[in-house]
Amino acid sequence: MDEHIEFLKSGPLSLVKRWGAKWSLWPVHLVTACCGVELAHAYACGYDGERLGSLNYGICRQTNLIIVEGAITRKMAKVLRITWEQMPDPKFVIVMGACGLNGGLFWNGYHMVKPSDVVPVDYFIPGCPPTPEALLRGIRALQDKIMTGETNSTAKFSKADLSSIIEIPEEIKQKRVPTPPHSIAKAPVIQIDGQREIEWDEGANLIQTLKKDLEGLYISIEMTDLNRICLKTTPEKTPEIAERLKFTFDHVKSVNVVDVPNENKFIIEYVVSSYGVKDLMPVLLSIITEIPRDNPRHPSLAKHWPSADYMEREMHEFFGVWFEDNPWMGRNFLLSPDTPEYPLRKDFKLPRETYVLRGDSR
Amino acid sequence: MKDMAIDIPVEPPAELKSLFIPIPPEYVEDAYNKDEYLVLVGPQHPGSGHMRIILRLKGDIIMDAIPDPGYVHRSMEKLAENRLYIQNIPLLERPSIMDPGNYNLGYVRVIEKAMDIEVPERARYIRTILAELGRIGTHLYDAGILAVFLGHTTGFMWPFGLRELICESFLRATGTRITSSFIVPGGIRWDLDEKVLDFINKSTYTLEKRLKGFERIFIKNPAVISRLRDVGILNRREAIEYGVVGPFLRASGVEYDVRRVEPYEAYPELDWDVPIAEDGDAYSRFLVRVEEIYQSISIIRQAISDMPGGPVMSEDLIGRIKEKDKVSRDIRGYFYRIFSKLKLPSGEYTVLTEAARGTLLYSIVSDGESNVPYRVRIITPGWAYLRGFMESLKGSRVSDLQAIYGSFGYFPPEADR
Repeated sequence: MDEHIEFLKSGPLSLVKRWGAKWSLWPVHLVTACCGVELAHAYACGYDGERLGSLNYGICRQTNLIIVEGAITRKMAKVLRITWEQMPDPKFVIVMGACGLNGGLFWNGYHMVKPSDVVPVDYFIPGCPPTPEALLRGIRALQDKIMTGETNSTAKFSKADLSSIIEIPEEIKQKRVPTPPHSIAKAPVIQIDGQREIEWDEGANLIQTLKKDLEGLYISIEMTDLNRICLKTTPEKTPEIAERLKFTFDHVKSVNVVDVPNENKFIIEYVVSSYGVKDLMPVLLSIITEIPRDNPRHPSLAKHWPSADYMEREMHEFFGVWFEDNPWMGRNFLLSPDTPEYPLRKDFKLPRETYVLRGDSR
Repeated sequence: MKDMAIDIPVEPPAELKSLFIPIPPEYVEDAYNKDEYLVLVGPQHPGSGHMRIILRLKGDIIMDAIPDPGYVHRSMEKLAENRLYIQNIPLLERPSIMDPGNYNLGYVRVIEKAMDIEVPERARYIRTILAELGRIGTHLYDAGILAVFLGHTTGFMWPFGLRELICESFLRATGTRITSSFIVPGGIRWDLDEKVLDFINKSTYTLEKRLKGFERIFIKNPAVISRLRDVGILNRREAIEYGVVGPFLRASGVEYDVRRVEPYEAYPELDWDVPIAEDGDAYSRFLVRVEEIYQSISIIRQAISDMPGGPVMSEDLIGRIKEKDKVSRDIRGYFYRIFSKLKLPSGEYTVLTEAARGTLLYSIVSDGESNVPYRVRIITPGWAYLRGFMESLKGSRVSDLQAIYGSFGYFPPEADR
């Protein structure tokens, strides 16, 4: 078998074979991230990628090219590898977008992987996102590579010697590396339910009604802004509150957790609103509770508000808060199993930007 | 007919572990024992973006649908805690890059609300135009992807040809085709001149004319109607219960639009309708968005004709630069000086925006001392209606999956953030 492959690669017919491969590059439909928007443009009527003999195809078994569109996450990396392994030889990989090159905008994210660590890459196309023209240029470059067998950079930058034009003063050359402008408080104080005096009569009436309906179930109900009401309570009372409110405030807009390590607590926040009652539509009611950080357990409200279900699962993965009775606790939903544990807690630190001065620019 | 039980030794397949299929082995066993089977759709499938749906089938009826999102989870909430407020604008635009106007607007308005920054009239109108252009572009994109799902190639080419006009408008107005990051706290980066506004105005007429052709080819096509009508129905009660948002909620008969409920920018001054439908099926979800394109076209034309003059950057911010340092009135020269030390007062600020696919929620918690946010919560429309999407799959046939998926315009980069 091997000599047949060798014959195809270097025999007298190899030119025909390479010519055939050049004009039939079929990218598999693996839209990994947002650069897919520009990929779709490259193959639509505006740019018509099909004239280069290249057209997206659904099934990886019948394709020979992967265009990795931007960010590859830990979860997607496995899929990328499996898809690549399923494709028949000869196969090629083009990575488009800054995220695929070096992480781009998300370079220090906890869920990112470089595509070049997963599959062998033939060409990178920089840009965020690259234009359709750039993508088609990448495909042309790959075609050239198939014919000649050499990988060449398609962009060459000429170097300008600026030293004759600008003279850099000695004191600037001696200057230290600048520090990043971020100033982050050491022991921040988090206040979510700060009361604000505003003129909002309906809000005052609504708060009175809520106070009457929820007698004994709350610590405080306050107006925090126009159309924003904050209800503070304790975790064990939230199911009862949800039971009473679920007919007027019928859906959950957001479930949020705020980590406050220096006070050893998590603030759990359910933002509920109404679709059914017209007057309540603009009102966002935040139900706030505090739970200890070392034993983060909170009753799940997904039974009362089904719209809270997926957000509770997400918050469980991000912070490790255990929403009792939610069936998905202790399992992965959004994140890959090999992600570091509870990445959104404040004690999980991301790498920071640093300035690196090259030898000649100093 | 006599009941027949086939005794097959059930062992969950080995892939359950190696491929991170997020369902417990008991669930697989239970399905096998009840003579049902599981079908994994995706992550590599011929649609847009990637997620896996685990379908539990009896015959070809979908009994249960379990989503497996997160293939495009780029950890935005954590990254945003480590960057300056101004650096977060391009970051938080990335969930849905074809809709930059609305995503910028949502984030920037949180800062403006927290700091009480007044935005000049002209900037508000230009922001409205950008937001509506993004809305048209996203709806056209979703229509094209719906056509791909249905195997209708002309239906893909036509809206993407029209999207070139939107991209060209963005290119002339902001300098990039899709990721513009053009809206900044206090206004916009630079003023649009008459030529650009004229181009946008003219292109709305071309859009309208071409949409009529699209209607003939795709929207009113009997083959399309038969694929979409009475498929994946979400009634009003279900839509409310599962917290569906945006045009998909309005297709189920709930008149909720953030632009009406909590008006922002120039929307209260313009004349437009909120299209709603009663059926809640895939076809009405599609038609509501087509109708929204016409409404957006009308909003853009009105905004261009009513456009007031004046500055495009708030005096609160540009006034912070001392008079002797000031070379021009242009914000671009003072970006670092004005925005790098931006600090929000302590507290939590939540702002809703009507993005193309529905309600977009940005919530920022600030500690009042740092120049980075303490916590950013982003609920994108895709994430909010994922539950409703899964519920609408239940009970339909497996061959209708593509039609329902396409009718929601589900875009995983947006949902996973």
